[in-house]
Amino acid sequence: MHPEGLREAGLDGKLSRQTVFSLLIFAVAWEVLSHFAPALGIPAFAIPSFVRIGRSLMTITPLDVIVTIARVIGALILSFVLGLCLAMAMYRSASLESYLHPMIRLFMAVPVVSWILFAVLWFRGVEFRIAFVLIAVCGPVFLVDSLDAMRGVSRELRGMMRSFRPTTLQYFTKLMFPAILPNLITSWKINLSLAIRVVTIAELVGAVTGIGHQLAVAQELFSVADVFAWTLVLVALLFLLEAVVVRVEQRVLRWRA
Amino acid sequence: MNAPPPIEVRQLRKVFRQTASGEPVVAIDRLDLDIAPREVVAIVGQTGCGKSTFFDLMIGLEQPTGGSIVIGGKTPYGDFDHFRGEIATVFQQDRLLPWRSALDNVKLPLELIKLPEDEQHKRSLHWLERLGLGSFTSAYPHELSGGMRQRVAIARAFAVQPSILLADEAFGHLDEVTAAELRERFLALARECGSTAILITHQLEEAIGVGDRIVVLGKSAKLLADIHVAPWLKSQHPVLREAIQSTLQNNSPDPRLDRL
Repeated sequence: MHPEGLREAGLDGKLSRQTVFSLLIFAVAWEVLSHFAPALGIPAFAIPSFVRIGRSLMTITPLDVIVTIARVIGALILSFVLGLCLAMAMYRSASLESYLHPMIRLFMAVPVVSWILFAVLWFRGVEFRIAFVLIAVCGPVFLVDSLDAMRGVSRELRGMMRSFRPTTLQYFTKLMFPAILPNLITSWKINLSLAIRVVTIAELVGAVTGIGHQLAVAQELFSVADVFAWTLVLVALLFLLEAVVVRVEQRVLRWRA
Repeated sequence: MNAPPPIEVRQLRKVFRQTASGEPVVAIDRLDLDIAPREVVAIVGQTGCGKSTFFDLMIGLEQPTGGSIVIGGKTPYGDFDHFRGEIATVFQQDRLLPWRSALDNVKLPLELIKLPEDEQHKRSLHWLERLGLGSFTSAYPHELSGGMRQRVAIARAFAVQPSILLADEAFGHLDEVTAAELRERFLALARECGSTAILITHQLEEAIGVGDRIVVLGKSAKLLADIHVAPWLKSQHPVLREAIQSTLQNNSPDPRLDRL
């Protein structure tokens, strides 16, 4: 991400004046509304005060957070490896690409909810269901981005590399992979926010652990404070994971400075 | 480095099909050429005469439509892996990998031939120093000038100690002073290493200045003249230049070339 973009997203480690101010306005508006909600005919539990949300935050179970993170990272790594390997195979073989491309398009057009329903109907194990959904959603993104990036590697560099007669593995590790790394990092950023949302829905529907499951419990208890607290955790988690990716990006792409 | 093998080009033909119309385009039509070991040959021709196609065929990136290129009994396309570390190239653009430092760019071909790590480092450093870039080893390509980048590309080509060196318009995009200096350095190093050097160029001055031999190609890489440039002939420079120019313009050998 461009440093300007990082600043805007508040991911450069510093919060801008504008960010702090807009967050403050939201917090004050929420707090005021929570106090006047009953007078406005809104049930008190619908807009809990920050004190109540704070109490909910204290009850957050770290195990559920860890489980969700593990699911997201595990599935993303699997999706990445699978997507990259398939992209490499499709880059090498035009006939394989002509067979796989329509299937990938089809996969990408299927709504996330349908994948979740398929997973619930097809598979028994919860972990397998969640992994299946995440890979079905994120894998094609990695694949398409990798393949596009490989095709974008300049003809001159490809010719230079081939003139030194690399093996297929050397060709990919010494040229293709480093050349497409900026695109892969962008894919990771896109897939991270996608995976967090997808895993939450998948856990909401069919898991007994994780943040999604805790959100389902909070919904059954009509506890908006708990929903708010778990949502805050989700958002913080996404920012944290994105910040890690940005750090990695700054390190591996330092040659672009 | 192994002793450079002889290069035999026999009835070489390359035909491309136009993407849109499918019409055939003859890039090279029955070219015969012999290049002896350690010879320095300048191949000169106008733009579009098939020089770069010949370059790609020599490297083995393209398959001949007909005829053959045989180097020491092997063909660069058919026996692709055999020539790993044997043929090295310098291109018109430096073609450095932007994510690698100068040193790591020179290391690249050495990594491909799986040389031990310390040997890779030693050899890359040696060649960068020979090209006057000893204090720029950790610089990235975007931090170097055009001439410096081309020096790195030359160091990269020499690092594998190839028996055959190919340069495709390698100095054409540089300013005259830098180009002349690099050209001289390139030739001196090629002679010192005992490599066969083939320089493809469209600049007559360059061809006359560098080659032991000048091969003049016309349209479809038709062999118009094959001139062994003895030192006394270089003193006839203006006449030689005019004769080659006229050969290229008329696409047929100038009679003055027979008298030279």
